[in-house]
Amino acid sequence: MTRRLVVTLSLTLVLTAGLFAAGLLAGNTPSLGLDLQGGASVTLTPKGTFDDAAIGVAVDIIRQRVDSIGVSEPEIIRQGSTVVVNLPGVKDQQRALDLVGRTGEVQLRPVIQMGQQTPQDGATSTTVAGATSTSVAGAPGSIEPTDSTLAAPAGGLGSARHPAASTTVPAVTTTVPTGSGLQPGQDVLLAAKGDAVYLVGPVAATGEVFEKQAAAEISNGGWVVTVSLRSGADGEDQWNSLAKTCFEGGATCPTKQVAIVLDSKVISAPVVQTPEFNGNVQISGNFTEAEAGDLAKILQFGAVPVQFDAPTVQTVSATLGKSSLHAAIVSGLIGVALVLMFLVLYYRLIALVVVAGLGVSGMLLWTVISWLSRTNGLALTLSGAAGIIVSIGVTVDSYVVFFEKLKDDLNKGRTLRNSAVRGFESAWRTILAADTVSFLGALVLWWLTVGPVRGFAFFLGLSTLSDLVVSYLFTRPAVLLLARTGLMNRPGVLGVRRQAVTEAQSVTEGTA
Amino acid sequence: MSGRLGRLYRGETTVDFYGRRRLGFLFSGALLLMTLGSVVFQGLNLGIDFKGGVAWEVPVTDTLTLDIAKKVLAQEGVDEKSAKFQLLNSNGDERVRIQAGDLDPSKVSRVKSALAARAKVDAQDVSEASVSSTWGRSITNKAVRALLVFMMFVSFFISWRFEWRMAVSAIVAMVHDVGVSVGVYSVLGLEVTPATVVAFLTILGFSLYDTIVVFDKVHENTSRFSGSRVSYGDIVNVSMNQVLMRSLNTSVAAVLPVVSLLVLGSGVFGAVALQEFAFALIIGLATGAYSSIFIAAPLLGMLKDRDPAYAPQKGHLSLGPEMAHLMATGAPAGRRGAAITRVADLGQEPAAAAVSAEAVLSHPPRPRKKGRR
Repeated sequence: MTRRLVVTLSLTLVLTAGLFAAGLLAGNTPSLGLDLQGGASVTLTPKGTFDDAAIGVAVDIIRQRVDSIGVSEPEIIRQGSTVVVNLPGVKDQQRALDLVGRTGEVQLRPVIQMGQQTPQDGATSTTVAGATSTSVAGAPGSIEPTDSTLAAPAGGLGSARHPAASTTVPAVTTTVPTGSGLQPGQDVLLAAKGDAVYLVGPVAATGEVFEKQAAAEISNGGWVVTVSLRSGADGEDQWNSLAKTCFEGGATCPTKQVAIVLDSKVISAPVVQTPEFNGNVQISGNFTEAEAGDLAKILQFGAVPVQFDAPTVQTVSATLGKSSLHAAIVSGLIGVALVLMFLVLYYRLIALVVVAGLGVSGMLLWTVISWLSRTNGLALTLSGAAGIIVSIGVTVDSYVVFFEKLKDDLNKGRTLRNSAVRGFESAWRTILAADTVSFLGALVLWWLTVGPVRGFAFFLGLSTLSDLVVSYLFTRPAVLLLARTGLMNRPGVLGVRRQAVTEAQSVTEGTA
Repeated sequence: MSGRLGRLYRGETTVDFYGRRRLGFLFSGALLLMTLGSVVFQGLNLGIDFKGGVAWEVPVTDTLTLDIAKKVLAQEGVDEKSAKFQLLNSNGDERVRIQAGDLDPSKVSRVKSALAARAKVDAQDVSEASVSSTWGRSITNKAVRALLVFMMFVSFFISWRFEWRMAVSAIVAMVHDVGVSVGVYSVLGLEVTPATVVAFLTILGFSLYDTIVVFDKVHENTSRFSGSRVSYGDIVNVSMNQVLMRSLNTSVAAVLPVVSLLVLGSGVFGAVALQEFAFALIIGLATGAYSSIFIAAPLLGMLKDRDPAYAPQKGHLSLGPEMAHLMATGAPAGRRGAAITRVADLGQEPAAAAVSAEAVLSHPPRPRKKGRR
């Protein structure tokens, strides 16, 4: 038992310190938000006619693109008729443009060849295999989207999604002609996800053939996207002529696939399964809910597109400046020192465990935050920094709960060693229940919200998890081991008066 | 250490929280009424992040810098705290962007000409545009929906882990906290910013966390006392006194850094932005700690008093030394049946009648085997 505790404790310490050191060596530091550090500001001016709702969708798409996990807190403002996107911490103006300035038109293009990208001596040679992970059926229910009509993908993302599909098409190794070899109107495009490459024909239709009501739904136990066609020559007829060409698989569309293209990226390339569509189109595939939702959103956007003029980019200064951060950090640290002093006064020796425990949580948080700063554009705003300081209160609470239970047990006349074990057992149940509620809250908020609330939820979840981890893997072994050493085996170490015990014990023990 | 403080330190206090529940309810009721009145008649002072407003952009010249722009705005009577100043830079061409809340059109053009005059440029070179909120309606709607879903999940979790009455009490306490915090902001007319919303959410989480810790103790005591005939009010009282020290300690630990942010951060170091955030947090921490003790737990007691298992003992509270005895031993003080006589003395006939069948038993019932051990 003792040995296991020692192993747990030392593993926790070594791992935490190791991760922390690795993060420092890799040069990961938390990046700061717009209010503290400034960043880049991109101004987008819509071109031609546009409707208000479409700009809303465009803003959503931009937000999704720059803030995928919800921690970078960009500021998106509509200033007059323009959209201003402020990105925290982005120094490179070109990068800011890449992130923001691509919102364009949704195009529908026939797929001539599809392949896999394999970088070779600098030149992009593309191996072609028949494959896709999606299929198009007509009006919902009229034609069953079956996997058997799908060719199996030759590796990559698709194969993971389609383990069951077995009719493998032998990989045809031809090189997709790049550059000069292209017919007019043809383009080589990359998939938005994965490493597929498509050779697509000229734009046959735009997203405007659809009505603006695409929705993700569940059909036959899987997520599909349904969308209805605009009636008339600009809608249904245009789509049906494309569908017919592709269904017949002629020279212009040998793969029978239609690529849905946004910003020169192929979002999805479903196989057409019927020549004639009657008002409705259903796109099925092995979508997750999120993938289906994203595709629906893109189709909606494509129905009423907004085009922006060439965006302008500027750097913006911080609204508050780093002096506020320094003030927050210094006063926060003084606050924490006061808390520790209070705990040492109250719990005496054992409070040293809290000091070490806060060090461990601090290292864990620093590691995760600086890692995410680098990979996901996390940006720490002033309220985020202040929030972390506040979360110390919650972290300290798990120690307080534990120590109070320990004292209770000591007061009942149990030995220290016994009390520590029982105290932790019962405190762990309390901490687990309370932290589960906090974590549940963080999860729901993160899942359902956007913007600053999402950022908050992320930090709440993070600090709750670190609280659980530190309680179980650090505090428990540390206190249990301390309880065995006899170092604490003097009354007064915890502030417990032993004689109070006898009185309570003399009365018959209740019904426990 | 002796006297009250000493007893508090050793967790031996015997405060009758449950008996005085009406005080807490009255106080909170008054606060919530005030909130309602203030929100209806005065509303909330929403910052530019929520309402949008106007923005000016003016080129930086020898005579106009970011600091001078701040002064110009102050002269025109625009509060510096509720405006945002940024320096824009594209290839050495610098401009100052100023955002302020809704102003009347004459003031907007006055500021524009004042800026142009100070920068010694044409009024045409100063741009002026209305700006939307950065915190769009969709963010608010999504956040509210998420909160509702969250409350549902939390209710299920608490009902499953403890019982539904605790879920009801915890949610009521949480709503109370939000109400009181919003009320304070409305009454004092403080500006609501995204940081305030984040602070309120932090508080909500903290309040719920605090309530769960208290309820966990009540839950533990419920099984501890399941064999003896004590009223639920007693269980609540005993639990409250047992967790009192923990609640105080935790609140001190949570409040100290925030007070430091408020006093040192914004006072000594002059980071004004910290002030409102810290203020929102202090209000929230206070109401959170208050509501777990004075709203959630008494409410739970009242709900449980209607439970058939506890209804017979309803209204009887062991006070003072009796409570201390109860806490120490887990059994009611004095001879068996004392509780029942007391109920009768108080003239609560239905309760006395309900227990009469059990009261004639000559020995206490075997404790039910419930809970651990």
